[in-house]
Amino acid sequence: MAWVDVVGALLAVSIGSDGNWFFASTIVLTLVMLNAVMLIPSIRPMRWISPALAIIFILSLYPMFYTLYVAFTNFSDGHRATKIEAIDLLAERRFLPEGGATYQWFVFQDQAGSYALWLIDTDGNSFFARPGTAFEAVTTSTSGSEPTNAEGVPVTYGGYTLLERGARFRALSDIQSLTFGDQDNAVGVRSAEVAGAFAQQWTYDAQTDTLTDNATGTGYLANNTTGEFVARDGSTAPVGFWVGIGFDNFTRIIRTTLSQGPLFRVVVWTFAFAVIGSLSGFSVGLLIALLLNGNAIWLRVARALLIIPYAVPGLVSVLVWRGMLNANIGVIPEVLHAVFGWSPTFSTDPVWAKVAVLVVNLWFSAPYFMLIGSGALQGIPAVMYEAAQVDGANRWEQFWQITLPLVLVSLGPLIIASIIFNFNNFFIMEGLFQGGPPMAGTSAPPVGHTDNLISYTYRLAFSTGGTKDYGLASAMGVIIFLIVGVMTMVQFHLMRTWEQVSENV
Amino acid sequence: MSDASAHTTLNRGFRATKQRHPFAIGFWILGGLRVVAVLSVLVFALFPIIWVLSASFNPGGSMSSQTIIPQNVDSVQELFTNYNQLFNDPQVPFWRWVGNSLLVSGISSTLIVLIAAISAYAFSRFRFRFLRSLLLSIFLVQVFPNTLAMVAIYLMLLQLGKYVPALGLNTYGGLIMIYLGGGMALNIWLMKGFFDTVPREIDESAMVDGATNLQIYWWLVFPLVRPILAVVGLLAFAGTLNDFLLARVLITDRQNWTLMVGLYSFIEGQFSDRWGVFAAGALFAAVPVVILYLFLQRYIISGLTAGAVKG
Repeated sequence: MAWVDVVGALLAVSIGSDGNWFFASTIVLTLVMLNAVMLIPSIRPMRWISPALAIIFILSLYPMFYTLYVAFTNFSDGHRATKIEAIDLLAERRFLPEGGATYQWFVFQDQAGSYALWLIDTDGNSFFARPGTAFEAVTTSTSGSEPTNAEGVPVTYGGYTLLERGARFRALSDIQSLTFGDQDNAVGVRSAEVAGAFAQQWTYDAQTDTLTDNATGTGYLANNTTGEFVARDGSTAPVGFWVGIGFDNFTRIIRTTLSQGPLFRVVVWTFAFAVIGSLSGFSVGLLIALLLNGNAIWLRVARALLIIPYAVPGLVSVLVWRGMLNANIGVIPEVLHAVFGWSPTFSTDPVWAKVAVLVVNLWFSAPYFMLIGSGALQGIPAVMYEAAQVDGANRWEQFWQITLPLVLVSLGPLIIASIIFNFNNFFIMEGLFQGGPPMAGTSAPPVGHTDNLISYTYRLAFSTGGTKDYGLASAMGVIIFLIVGVMTMVQFHLMRTWEQVSENV
Repeated sequence: MSDASAHTTLNRGFRATKQRHPFAIGFWILGGLRVVAVLSVLVFALFPIIWVLSASFNPGGSMSSQTIIPQNVDSVQELFTNYNQLFNDPQVPFWRWVGNSLLVSGISSTLIVLIAAISAYAFSRFRFRFLRSLLLSIFLVQVFPNTLAMVAIYLMLLQLGKYVPALGLNTYGGLIMIYLGGGMALNIWLMKGFFDTVPREIDESAMVDGATNLQIYWWLVFPLVRPILAVVGLLAFAGTLNDFLLARVLITDRQNWTLMVGLYSFIEGQFSDRWGVFAAGALFAAVPVVILYLFLQRYIISGLTAGAVKG
């Protein structure tokens, strides 16, 4: 235990010193929890749970609170760094000032693969420059005593070998990101021919809280509520910074939802899919279970076969469905064309896309409900049916009076769990049509007709097209969490009631 | 729960009908309808699977040229074009991916089972305050959408990797650690339901004999709950094996990819000419899991329902 403490504490201190206090304190909190469990006798049984708790602390609780924190900030593309980091980031940028020295360059590489430059300035003086160390004055050889190239640069120098033609060209992409020489005299490769002495482009003045672009001479004043550096003409510096913006993200979400815009439709579809998807899966699954209920061998084989859709990796099946629904090459439109002479384009028609999503979801969820449904059916005591027959109930009545209520008692919590799962069903929405077809008038990232909250949020945070807005996405995540959290509490409550009911049965 | 007597009597309805009117037209119509219904269910359920199977044997490779029965095949060898490409192409580190996946999923599922099992035992056996609220809060924390926590998880691994290289980005350690977190609450819940069915008297008699909790757990309870451990282990194994999102974000090096990420790379763009190779790989990945599921079906069903009814 002491050993765990030491390692954990060291880790927390190092991470904390990086400025990530949030993560550091999570580790400390976990350590405190572990110690308490070990040392306080009255909560000793907790020891058994502590590994699970530690995992949940670090892997679930921390990301959750981190997201909560990000939800109140403007963390997004262009606002990724803290103010200090943003200033440092800009301070690293170099530009080639007017009248700065320029050089002709030759590239060398040593055994280890590191590069160095041989520079010849406009006066004909030569220097050898390695990254991070000061220039070394050297002379081009004219005597011909050692092998040189046409410009008199030696083929090898101090363990480095000259790269020419193709090799030089291939090295270009590597060395363009490098700076040669030390702080005072930094040179970088600007083009295939010219290297130039760089100057720092952005300087920050803490007193006036202003960033100056030395290339143009413009001053940008920091705006600490929006996280931007703004010039007098209203333009902003290329890098903004990360600031807390209070409830802005939340008000933005609520406002756009209330205005019945695209987001409102996403919310409606999310709920509709969760409920319809789960209930249809349950009903069809139970129907199949009833259909296949029995001991005959062909029924048993059919039951076993139906476990296959459930067992095949979800990624594989969703991609197969995507291919089968594809308008140009998919087999389903082809078959529909052959039979009805007409087929919807599933990926572009908003209504048919939703139908397709629901049908594919049925394929995923019905086998699951069939599996657990047949388990539940077999669990119903036969005495009940006998009693019902004595009372003269027909099969239809038996189903509604005995089978369904009893199956609901045992599967009720699982149906609610399925609704919760489908509320956050990212896989099918993203996998089938990437949330599409896009709604008209929405862009960067577009809102799709089959987008549910989670897939839309994912697109907000990770889309490759538009700007990534983690702040807004996190706020959405928090709202989703609140909704799902309430549903989970309801489920828990119902389970308790169910327990009592099932005890009485 | 699934004893045969309940089973037979449940079908008394059918049997009764049979005995009363063995040759009635209505019976045959009903029976025929049932066969038709079962067949159409099977077609719906299995068609995509058959489609992948056929794709994997279509030498053309692209989806547009695919036919259910591969056409224009001259030799048996040609049937296995896609498999050949998958297994023997030096450009495709397929076996490496399989190994990576087995390693990651094997370690993750073992750890998940061990950790969840001891927690479930505590939840099932010890009476301490706030037990129910603790379980509820674990549940609540875990319904937080994982898809969104990804940014935080990514940054966390980035940071951790600086000090503990084995848990950083692009390492199996980091990925396994993240997998441990997923579904912990659900697994504890499933197991707790099953642990509750193990009679408490066993513990008590052992306790009287002077056994410690740890001994009781390891020697008495653990062997009794093996079925549920197998189920949770299998579900965890399949779950991590099939994970795509996290593995794709956290493992960047092509050599280190897991099988699913690797397979996806075949059809990343459009359904281009590697669709057949994807299908072959997908089948290769799915078949062992499907076989395991078929064999453990009984246990899986009882596992899936065990947590639900019992509190």
